[in-house]
Amino acid sequence: MTPQEKTLLHVTRRHFYSQCFVGLGGIALGGLMGGRGFGAAAGPDLRDPLVPRAPHFAPKVKRVVYLFMAGAPSQFETWLWRPELRKLDGQPTPDSFLDGKRFAFMERFTKERPKLLGPQRDFRQHGQSGTWVSEVFPHMASIVDDLALVHTLRTENFNHAPAKLVFNTGSTRFGRPSMGSWITYGLGSESRNLPAFVVLRSGEQNLMGGVNIWGSGFLPTTFQGVEFLRSADPIPNLSSPPGYSTGRQSDRVNAIRELNLARLAEVGDPEISTRIASYELAHRMQTSGPELMDLSTESQATLDLYGAVPGESNFANNCLVARRLLERGTRFVQLYHTGWDHHGNRVNNLAEKLDEVSLAVDRASAALVTDLKQRGLLDDTLVIWGGEFGRTPMGEIQELPGRNHHVENFPIWFAGGGIKAGQTIGGVDELGFFITKDPIEVHDVQATILHLLGLDHTKLTFRHQGRDFRLTDVGGRVIEKLLA
Amino acid sequence: MRSLLAALAVASLVAVPAQAAPGPPFSPEAIRFFESEVRPTLHTRCAQCHNDELRTSGLSVASRQSLLEGGNRGAAVSLERPAESLILSALRHASGLKMPADGRLSDRKVAAIERWIELGAPWPEVTASATAGRVARHWSFEPVARPETPPVANTDWVRNPLDRFVISRLEEAGLEPSPEAPGATLAKRAHLDLTGLPPSPEDVRDFLADTDPGAYERMVDRLLDSPRYGERWGRHWLDIARYADSNGYNNDAPRKIWMYRDWIIDALNRDLPFDQFVIEQLAGDLLPGASRQQVVATGFHRNTLLNLEGGIDFEQYRVEAVVDRVDVTGIAFLGLTLGCARCHDHKYDPISQREFYQFFAFFNSIDELSGDFNDQEGRARAYEPLLEFGSDEQYLRRDAIKAQLKAMREEQDRYEEDLLLKQPEWEAGLTEEDLAKLPLGVQRILGKPPEERVAGRLVFVKNAFLSQDPGVQERRKAIAAVNKLLPEIPSTLVMRELPEARPTHIFLQGDFLRKGDQVEAGTPDVLPPLEADDPNRLALARWIVDRRNPLTPRVAVNRIWQRYFGQGIVATENDFGTQGDPPSHPLLLDWLASEFMARDWSLKSLHRLIVTSATYRQSSAFRADLASADSSNLLLGRQNRLRVESEIVRDVALSASGMLESEIGGPSVFPAQPPGVMIRRPWPESKGRNRYRRGLYTHFWRTSPHPGLMVFDSPDSLTLATRRNRSNTPLQALTLLNDTGFHEFAQGLARRVLRERPDSGIAERADHAFRVCLAREPSAGELRALERLAATQLDEFSTHPEQADEILSAEIHDGLDRAQAAAWTTVAGVLMNLDEFITRE
Repeated sequence: MTPQEKTLLHVTRRHFYSQCFVGLGGIALGGLMGGRGFGAAAGPDLRDPLVPRAPHFAPKVKRVVYLFMAGAPSQFETWLWRPELRKLDGQPTPDSFLDGKRFAFMERFTKERPKLLGPQRDFRQHGQSGTWVSEVFPHMASIVDDLALVHTLRTENFNHAPAKLVFNTGSTRFGRPSMGSWITYGLGSESRNLPAFVVLRSGEQNLMGGVNIWGSGFLPTTFQGVEFLRSADPIPNLSSPPGYSTGRQSDRVNAIRELNLARLAEVGDPEISTRIASYELAHRMQTSGPELMDLSTESQATLDLYGAVPGESNFANNCLVARRLLERGTRFVQLYHTGWDHHGNRVNNLAEKLDEVSLAVDRASAALVTDLKQRGLLDDTLVIWGGEFGRTPMGEIQELPGRNHHVENFPIWFAGGGIKAGQTIGGVDELGFFITKDPIEVHDVQATILHLLGLDHTKLTFRHQGRDFRLTDVGGRVIEKLLA
Repeated sequence: MRSLLAALAVASLVAVPAQAAPGPPFSPEAIRFFESEVRPTLHTRCAQCHNDELRTSGLSVASRQSLLEGGNRGAAVSLERPAESLILSALRHASGLKMPADGRLSDRKVAAIERWIELGAPWPEVTASATAGRVARHWSFEPVARPETPPVANTDWVRNPLDRFVISRLEEAGLEPSPEAPGATLAKRAHLDLTGLPPSPEDVRDFLADTDPGAYERMVDRLLDSPRYGERWGRHWLDIARYADSNGYNNDAPRKIWMYRDWIIDALNRDLPFDQFVIEQLAGDLLPGASRQQVVATGFHRNTLLNLEGGIDFEQYRVEAVVDRVDVTGIAFLGLTLGCARCHDHKYDPISQREFYQFFAFFNSIDELSGDFNDQEGRARAYEPLLEFGSDEQYLRRDAIKAQLKAMREEQDRYEEDLLLKQPEWEAGLTEEDLAKLPLGVQRILGKPPEERVAGRLVFVKNAFLSQDPGVQERRKAIAAVNKLLPEIPSTLVMRELPEARPTHIFLQGDFLRKGDQVEAGTPDVLPPLEADDPNRLALARWIVDRRNPLTPRVAVNRIWQRYFGQGIVATENDFGTQGDPPSHPLLLDWLASEFMARDWSLKSLHRLIVTSATYRQSSAFRADLASADSSNLLLGRQNRLRVESEIVRDVALSASGMLESEIGGPSVFPAQPPGVMIRRPWPESKGRNRYRRGLYTHFWRTSPHPGLMVFDSPDSLTLATRRNRSNTPLQALTLLNDTGFHEFAQGLARRVLRERPDSGIAERADHAFRVCLAREPSAGELRALERLAATQLDEFSTHPEQADEILSAEIHDGLDRAQAAAWTTVAGVLMNLDEFITRE
């Protein structure tokens, strides 16, 4: 750094200290600076809102990877074995289960009393814990003692987009920050070369909810999830244009810095120094990004464990990239895999489509847990696997077997630091309609994730439009039974 | 004016005792104590269970009254014997009842609650009265006044009356306004703000050379007359209209509504008065003798999302769309969050749940996809009502093809029915080899003996059988081919009323299946009454722009002000209710609102007024004295530097490149974007002219928007956006550095510089490139930096001509010296990445 630059940066810092916020996101950052509502820990520093920050209390985990099964897997073909339902396959649904209840896809029920649909796959018990697992998940079945399986998650929303929004933002309203944004806002970033919150997608179907489910809502956009794309260039525009060697790109970035600094000296707007910093990180990401995505440096044994193939874009590769991200300091990685919306039509069904999607995720989901464990990372990493709701015990009257959306009970599993593994939580009636024991709300899951990261979900707040908002809205209890 | 000030004082300090007031009037200090020390505790630690909905153990902490009444165990708060209040013993774990269930409160918090009870449990009345649906006095509900312009000391600085309101506040605070920005900065600022395009070096030169009085005003007039003005301000309005080219939700199918976008651009360019602008968008179809264009305008409220997912109840999503229309109408025109009253009375503003549904009734009788069409036919009319612009020949042709398709499908059904008789034979004759070619699922089913096959999965075998038959394949192909022959008839989504109105009910807790009382269309009591024989959408539109409505002109001028200064006079531009911020310059707001109406709602006139003010023309440079005295620049002692919006980032680069295509309107286009972003959405990348259109014409898929737009904070268009974020991220840097589109623009700029300065040296070319991009003269240091870069690049490319070949696209550089073109592309790529390039200073 030249003496002139040093002086300039000093000037800039003085500007920050004197609270020249305008242009830096205005009011919102003003609120941040004051740390208003942030709770025990200090709020983000305006000069660098991604600097790591202390949690509210000692954390159990440092990082989280959430494998989100978009479309809502059927519990009856995956994790919830209901032998009674198989016995009653094809029978009309008992009145006691339908009276006074409303299910999705109502209009079909008015034509004909819905019939129960027996489990379309066989289950066996696995591991020391003797947990029942469907035949579609042979690999996850083999690590079942590392998991804590919850049968009794419930939600209010039986349409995909709002249900996903609730999982990710705590609300069905658009415009709320996503969980990863809240976590980054609370804890900052451990990586100087990569984003703190990364989203990876796979599966053939459209992901409902789109960018809103990893958006930063009313938090500054610095905290939003960075989506890696499904292409050779996973971070958009990470490669320099053709003909720009590393040297030439550096020449450009240096000239940009020099001219931006000159303007900063002239007009004194701190936004310019933020932009200078953005270019520095962008330039570093041009090197760190390709290294991150280069799976050819992994051993063949590791590639086989996941079923990953360098150069391809699929769930297995994403799981491996997730591990590499976590190793390099990214705090929250969210994988979305679509294709679980098994109604009874040609595109979505419990016939071959269930087999396809299970095949796509089973091995790699298990591999991620195994691999993290082998590397000693599982102790301070949280792994989560689940969808946005469940599916009905009744079948859908269509050309292929399928089930409707069901919000009353559905599974989710946790593995890693702070989790009491090898247990199953929750009771569901014999036909799988309703919870009989230990209902868990979506906000409880969020409260628990924050808790494991050392954050009190009631204290991680942000003042917006005159109100302190939080991820868990007015709900959320840490799931004590889950914890070791 | 006194009434407005009085109301402001009331809103910010203390409530007016309302009729239903359950306690004595409390001092502002007492209310403040409650708000800061007690309410947060009640809200975050008690209200989870003890709210009006749940009332665990019968108790709600949502109001003073409910605490005094208490729950199953009796009163929670005792005003007679504060220390013995049940709430305190529970919080102190002094008896069997220990609260909160999730952990004890700190002693300090409990002490605060005790102190609060001793004070008589002060609670602000505004909330209580608002909840009860009573009218609370709040500044924004007071009539718009015509304030006198205040006296000021520094009259020399004042250019028009609005400046007096600004400088009088600065003088009160002992602050000086900033000097006028340099001429070049002013030229760039006005060009960007009014047209969204930077001035050319010649524009700046001419402006600076015009020393006659009124040069600046003449430039402003010229810009307001430019058709670019309609594009620039049209895009602002499209944020409010949540305009997009697709339906949203899971399917996110494409829709055609670009004619509405073009109507907006045209309406602004012909300066359609704002009252008429509003009426035509809300109810153009109901105007007597409505023109087709007035019907096109009603696309405003057809920009709602449309869900065509399988198995859903269309009624649910129709209701969602109507709710969105209420939300958007409330916020867009009135600055009121009516949507908060969908499930219950508004918690803060005087809007009852009944009033929400009365407002809902205005939009509840559109002839659109609803629960009446929960079948395949519903999907076929999914876009109704729409207005078509086809020729007679096209309509005839469409009818003929539809008839043909119907016949083909019937024949297909008959054929398949006969064919299915042969399925058992087919199954029996399958060899191992045949089986292996079938889908995995079918193989598995057929691998089992018939009695073990799950009945529900057999249909899958049937489909596999049909699919392998050449006759079926042929028919499917033929139908698809004929389908493609359907003529593309231009159309746009519009409003149309049902012949008979749908009855509107209150939906209990907002649930469309739980109907409460039936209600008639009506407007909130807190605002001037709706005087109409037939309270329909047209009456509503006229009521919104009635000069007695205090909100509409205030909200409108505030939004325009916000675009020029980065922040509105009311900072919460989407909320003029009691939870919103009070205006920083209340008199100015009213003066502008009244002036806007006095100028017959002319938007161009309002723009001219603001843009020619001394306030607007100030320098945006930072000042240490302002930074400490007015850190948020609320008093406007200077202008603000603002990063331009996503579309304008593109426009600025396109413009500098010399590649900008100036065509206005038409179907949306598909400029280049990084590969891999579009998942299951087509992106037929535009070639030729449509590749270089302004940002507002980029096709917008709601669930997969163009990343170049989103990375610079375009709104998602799911509902209205009244402000743009201005984030500053590494992904923006990567976009400007490396994106294919911006690389093309850099090459375009290089070509432009070489063509416009054919015989010049490095210094002159660098100077010209700088002026093209930044609309000002470079400093000596800036020029030196560019010259240095250009010289080293020229060296490198002359020694390594193959590198120049890599950089340049054949279509762009066409015949120029390759080393020169490549070197200047690098320089252009620097200029187009500067903070100043994408900033309105």
